[in-house]
Order: sequence, then C-alpha cells, then structure tokens
Amino acid sequence: MGHGHPHHHHDHSHDHDHDHAVGGDLPAALDPTVPETELSPADRSRRSFLRNAGLLGAGTAATVLATPELAHAHGNGGDTGHGGDKEPKGGFHWLAGDHHIHTQYSSDAQYRVIDQARHARGHGLDWMVVTDHGSVAHAKIGVEKVNPDIVAAREQLKDLLIYQGLEWNIPAAEHATVFVAPGRNEVAVLKEFENAYDGSVKNAGGSSPANEALAIAGIKFLGEQVRRRRVDGALFLANHPARRGIDSPHEVRAWRDADPTVAIGMEGAPGHQAAGLPRPTAGRNRGYYDNGPSADSFAGYPLESYRTWGGFDWMTATVGGLWDSLLAEGKPWWISANSDSHVNYLDTSQRGPGSNFDLNGRHDDPVYGPLLTDAGDYWPGQYSRTHVGAASFSYRAVMDGLRAGRVWVDHGGLISGLDVRARVAGDRRPDSGTPLGGVLRVKRGTRVELTIDIDLANTPNWSQFVPVLGRVDVIAGQVTGPVADRDTFTAPTARVVKSYEVGKGTGRVSFTYAFGRVDQPFYVRLRGTDGNRTAPGLMGAHVDPFGPALDIAGDADPWKDLWFYANPIWVLPS
Amino acid sequence: MIGLSFGHRTVREAEHWLHEVVRPLGLPGLVACTHLTQHPFPHVAISLSTDGEPPAGLLAGVPVELVVAGEHAAAEHSTRRSGRAVLFPGVARLTGVLSVDELLAASAIERVTALGGVPPAGDTLVETRDFVRPLWAEGRLTLVTTPVAGGRIGPFEVPEPTPCCADH
Repeated sequence: MGHGHPHHHHDHSHDHDHDHAVGGDLPAALDPTVPETELSPADRSRRSFLRNAGLLGAGTAATVLATPELAHAHGNGGDTGHGGDKEPKGGFHWLAGDHHIHTQYSSDAQYRVIDQARHARGHGLDWMVVTDHGSVAHAKIGVEKVNPDIVAAREQLKDLLIYQGLEWNIPAAEHATVFVAPGRNEVAVLKEFENAYDGSVKNAGGSSPANEALAIAGIKFLGEQVRRRRVDGALFLANHPARRGIDSPHEVRAWRDADPTVAIGMEGAPGHQAAGLPRPTAGRNRGYYDNGPSADSFAGYPLESYRTWGGFDWMTATVGGLWDSLLAEGKPWWISANSDSHVNYLDTSQRGPGSNFDLNGRHDDPVYGPLLTDAGDYWPGQYSRTHVGAASFSYRAVMDGLRAGRVWVDHGGLISGLDVRARVAGDRRPDSGTPLGGVLRVKRGTRVELTIDIDLANTPNWSQFVPVLGRVDVIAGQVTGPVADRDTFTAPTARVVKSYEVGKGTGRVSFTYAFGRVDQPFYVRLRGTDGNRTAPGLMGAHVDPFGPALDIAGDADPWKDLWFYANPIWVLPS
Repeated sequence: MIGLSFGHRTVREAEHWLHEVVRPLGLPGLVACTHLTQHPFPHVAISLSTDGEPPAGLLAGVPVELVVAGEHAAAEHSTRRSGRAVLFPGVARLTGVLSVDELLAASAIERVTALGGVPPAGDTLVETRDFVRPLWAEGRLTLVTTPVAGGRIGPFEVPEPTPCCADH
C-alpha cells in the first residue's frame, strides 16, 4: 500500500518518491510481497515469529489501518536463544536496555565504552546503544575509533548486546538515536550517514524546508542500507523530542512515514533524570528541560511542552497530546526511556586531563576525580529502562522487538515485569492474546478485554528501596484515521478509562479490563505510578484526573516520582 | 509603535541590540518586545511602543526583505496578542525576591500565571533571578511562572538555559 498522504512538503525540492509502496522499503522478512519460498531460512524463521506474534505489519506499516495480514498471537513461534538471564514471559524474553549513551567520543562526555558497558550490565541491562554526538570531529575520527572499543566490550561482556550508533543531529530538528545491527558494514554505514545527513556536519540545524527534506532523505538512506543488506537493521528514535520545541508535529509524522521500518519512535522520557535533584547550587530542571521557544520552535507548542511531567516528555505525558494523536491516526510510534549518560551524578571520575578532543576525536581516558554532586545523569540501567519483548537474546531479536513496539519503560525499578494482552473475552490461554505494539483484529460485536499481569518491583532498586506501585491507569482513544492537518498534536477522545489502586511492592497483581462488545477501532495503552506526585492532566481532569505533575527545578527527586508507561495495542473490529 | 527586524537569530542577539541601541535613548513609556517569526526565515523581530512615537530613524537599518516581519511584530504588539517584553516600565525594579503584589505594583506587568497550576496568591514570593520577560497574552502583559524549590515561584524563562550540547 502507498503512503496515501498528501504532499504537505509542497515546497521541498528533494527528489524522493513519496508514493513508493511501503512494501518496497521493507527487509525481505517483513515484506509481504516477498513470497515465503524466496526467503532465506533465517528470514523465514523471522517472518514466522513476527506473524505468530500478531506483529507482522503493525510496526512496519505507516498505519495499522492498512495492514493487510494480522493474526492473533500464538506465542513464541520459534527462534529461541539463550535469552540472557531472563525467563521467557508470554513467549518473549524481556530484555532491558538503553539506546542513548555517550562516551569519551562525545565532546561533552567522558567515559570509556567499557565503563558504560560494565555499569549497564551491572545495573541489569541486556542491551545498550553507544550514541556519541554527530559532529565534524566524530564523523572524521570518532565514528571509526569507537568501533574497536565496542568490539572489545562485546568480547568482554558476552551477556550484553552492545550496538554502535550515533546521536544524530536531525536536520531542522532535535537529536535522535540512530543505530545499526552489528556487522562488517556497521561503521561504514554510520560514517556515510553522518557525513551526508548530520545537521551539525552539514550545517543544517535551522528550521527550513530544505533541512527538513535532508532529514527525510537521511531516514530513507538508512532503510536503503538495510534493503541492500549492507546492515541487517537500522533504527531511528527521536531523543528528548519536546525539549526545545523544534520537533514539529509534521516533522515527527514525516520521519515515521519516510520509512516506518527505520523511524519507530521517540524517547517518552528523556535522560538526565538526576538534573532536577535538590542541591546547594541553583536548581536545574529534570532532564535539563529548561528552554523556552526560539525562532526555530514550532509556534503552536504551549510553554508546558518545554518542561517534564513526572520525568516524562510532554509529548508522552499528556493524555490526549501529541503521542495519542499519532496513535489515534493508527500510526505505530513507540516510546522509550534512557539515561543519556554523559557525566553521572555522584560518580568520582573526571575527563582525562590534557585531552584534545578536536585533534583526537575523543577525550583521553577518565581519571579519578572529585565527587560529582552537580552532574545530572545516571548510569545506564540505574534509573531508566526500556524493556523489549524479544524472541531471543540476539541483536536482531531486540531490533525486531523494538520495531514491533513490544516495549514498556520504567523509572526507578517501579515494576519488574509487565504482560499486557488484548484478548477476545474469556480467552485465558497463556500463549494467546495480542501483546504490546500489536493489533487485534476481531469481528464487529466481539467482546474484547485487556488482561494486565504485573510483576511488582519485588527487589530493591538502585537507591536500595523496593518501590511500591500505587496506581495503574488504562488509557484508551478512538482510532480516527489520518489527520487533515499534519501539525495536529491533540487527540480529543483519548482519556483514562480505568484506574486500579495497587499499593504494593511485592508479588504479582492482575487486572482485567472489559471493553464490552467492540464496534469501533481504538487503541489502549497503560501507565502506572508510585502515586507520590499527581496533578490533573493538561487536557483536563475529565481526561486525566491524576496525571503526572510538573517537575520543579531543584526540587525534583526522581526516586520519589516513579512511573511506567507501556506502548499501545490497537483493537480493530471489522 | 514601530516594528523592526534585523534578522537576529536568537532572542539574546535581539536583546543585545535593544540594550545597546534603544535603552540609551531613554524613551518615555518604552515597551520593547521580541517576536519569534518564521518569515522569511526563522528569526527574532522587534517592536517598540512609547509615549508618543518612537524615533523613525531606527527603521533606517531594516533590510527591505525584513520590513514585513517588523510590521507583523508591531501589529502583534499593538493588539497585545503576542510579544515578549524585554524593556518595560518598572523592569529595573524587578530584582531579587518580590511578592506577586509587589511585582504587579512595581511594573507594567498586569497579571501573573502559573504553568500547570492555579494562579499564585498575591503574597507568593517570586524569585526574579533579575531576569523578568513577561509576554503579551489575551491583551495583558503576563508573567508566566513555575514553582521553584522552597515553595516560591520563578519566571518560566530562565536567564541561562541549557545549550543543546551542553557540557553536562
């Protein structure tokens, strides 16, 4: 199927074919136009898994509404691996990770790859992405020099998947994580990409139609490298999207539509979660979200969008806001939560003295230093985690899980496991139901319910307490199809439809929410909190009576304000 | 009322021009605002209102392609729809910590609102950070605030926001 959306970038000069069928942009395993018989055994197994999980198409189409073939999940369709140290749950290995981590190859960071990797593993992560800033120095030196460090860390830490990526300066917009599957071309593809499309390297940061077109071309380039089998996968997630108001709604939509197998989502919560802690010096904002509108900002964004809410970015934290407006379109767009670790709170190291970053493309190795009481970041896995339901413990499976949106995120270890499924009412088979990121297609009038199984924290977090889950909110909204105005950032029908009080930190809790007989398409997503800080949502108390509260500069202790968010499931009666 | 545009890329550059060129003129009743505009490219335009007419000589340096941006800024300011006031009556008195009532009495600011909450009471203390930039909104010069540590409030806009790739 084609994109079918109007050419809103009427003033673009780029020569890319907007009308290209999405199917043509897909890796073979994901491309329904490639017959089963033409697939390699590995691709056949991959397709089988995706199909059986009810996922084929959901995370790879521009909209779930046009997905040609979707089935209910039937659990794990094969592809079993050793699965890290996680037991399979509902047919998936839930692997925790972080796709936004800096090293000494970023001018504003300091750690070795192995420093970040050891801490990531120590804090329980299964996968991570090295994302040093795109820059002239990085494109020339760092992108190559960091690779042997990553390869060595992979050797040293066999139970941690370490991807090489880049923090892309999106032309005309914010930063984004871009990463590829490991392989012989990983450096070459990243280097070509950075040299051709980085907003800093190309001096293309400002808001203009030409720069927006360069961003689209960059995403298409990544998809092309996968199609040409230079790399096995490439993903894009927009980082700290609302921080400076420069990721306009139409840009977010355009990235997604440029190649939905590559551009899959955004940070629901930014990193730098320690930045808002009380400290003797002047208070900073959680996430370093302290900017206001600039000339490059999207004029329609309210001032509220420039701050965090319960540690989350406004696009995600607002029920009925920008994220919901994408989901209401039927547009798969997933959220994540990461550390953005540069310099970590209460660490005792400092940048290598005498470093010459511009010359060497890196800072010298860090050395022992004073206690970093002013730093704003946590180690990977210490506070923010992105949990991916993967078929196996492998690079490919984590990327497939991310692409499928089988993802939930938490702060501070609020919960330890989450199994959410949309089901035909009464079906309680452990291996059935549609998981996060999936699409449940049913006959009109079918009774549908949501089963929610939550493993509570059970173990202490990295501040050595066992978090207590206060409340779980079920959020739902109608699927209303493509928007007429690509700068839409509200979803009028989204609201909290049910809240469950929990008040426990150990054991397991289960809930069932009945939607009754369904006759209209909708999506549902989940959110939970320790309940310590709440406020009526920005769209009103009737939409979200107990939403996240505005984070206060210098008074935002992140450990006392914990949330988890899950990606959506669509229910499409027909 | 006049509107000007020199294509400043940031509000900081536009403020620098206001402080260097306009403030020394000592214009009575001056309200000088910055305006974010996308046309013909993203930049910051300026509007000036005074008791009587601002000196027309200031318009001399405006590049011809930016005249429309300046006119747009003037229109926004004169209708009190938008604009961010940098220089306005009483701004010099807005330093240190003041109550909301004191801030309203000392300056041209007409109301104080709070992001994500109910409007603050008159005796709420405002940490000005010696940097107060109210906005024209709904016809009134409005200072948007957020809570700060210690039960006080502060202007939404901070004087030194984190640059995009800061040393953090």
